[in-house]
Amino acid sequence: MLYKGSLKFTTWRGTCINERSEKMLPIKQGQVAIALVCAVLGFMLAVQFRTTQDIKSSIPFQRIEDLSQRLSQTEKERDTLLKQLHELRQTPGLESAAKEGENIRMGAGVIALEGKGLVITVDDSKRISKVGDNPNLYLIHDEDILKVINELWAAGAEAISINEQRLIATSEIRCAGPTLSVNNTRYSPPYEIRVIGEPQTLENSLKMRGGVIETLQFWGIQVSVKKQELVQIPPYKGTFRFEYAKPVKEGGK
Amino acid sequence: MVLPLIGLIIGIVVGAFFPLTIPVEYAKFMSVALLASLDSVFGGLRAGAEEKFDNTVFVTGFFTNALMAAVLVYVGERLGIDLYYVALLAFGLRIFQNLAIMRRYFLKK
Repeated sequence: MLYKGSLKFTTWRGTCINERSEKMLPIKQGQVAIALVCAVLGFMLAVQFRTTQDIKSSIPFQRIEDLSQRLSQTEKERDTLLKQLHELRQTPGLESAAKEGENIRMGAGVIALEGKGLVITVDDSKRISKVGDNPNLYLIHDEDILKVINELWAAGAEAISINEQRLIATSEIRCAGPTLSVNNTRYSPPYEIRVIGEPQTLENSLKMRGGVIETLQFWGIQVSVKKQELVQIPPYKGTFRFEYAKPVKEGGK
Repeated sequence: MVLPLIGLIIGIVVGAFFPLTIPVEYAKFMSVALLASLDSVFGGLRAGAEEKFDNTVFVTGFFTNALMAAVLVYVGERLGIDLYYVALLAFGLRIFQNLAIMRRYFLKK
């Protein structure tokens, strides 16, 4: 019906509008209005296009890309520098000083050590917390790890590492959100603590009645202690930087 | 069809060189308004093809559609309802419907 009506229309209107445009496009009404509106539409299109382009190249997008690129670059740089540092440290010094230096380095934690000791693994509680219970109680916190470490030092541990991070005098053990930050490196559970020392003494210190492990196990936190003949402890991989501290000159008074 | 195309090209050229940018937070409204206008133009073309074109209806429809779409999205944003997608869907459907009707009309001609 529609089709028939329009055909009729074309025949009588064909006389006043030029034939060619008629054949190509049967739209004859409101060409001017549509053209005007199309101009507005085109304007909007162009503006919107430019805006979208602007958004894409605006700060947040660029920044994320830029920052992630810089991060990976810096990480690469850090790794190469660490390798260099390591090589430099490994180069042997004078024979006489070497012996004393060895002891100091062992104490400072800059060389890998091995010996008898324990491997302790600590993991979050698998127990489902009851309604109304604070779920925090079932997670490992920095304090728990600190208690374990403290107990181990007291029992004569000679070297300790947590997940490949050697504990040295300036090592921190601190909550970093849901993770644990050791030597400014973050780890999530399970935590593996390696200790060198007299295995029996160390184990007893942890497992004594009312001791650390008993407290932790009360909340379902999984602690396993394994005695080993050979425990390897990695060196401290960071650098020492003293901005404020200066050595006191001996006999200066 | 030549006149509308010329209008479109003129609009794009003017828009490309006009020093006007929309703030990022309003880009969403603009995009919906744009879609509404696109829908209006397709509706107008369809009406023209059907010989039912009315100048006033078309021009007022163009502007009210665009404005209403933007307002709708704004209100939706305030209320926490994603009316943005509703507008997108409605106008998108209408555009394709109009396109289909026009296509049929041209093919039958």
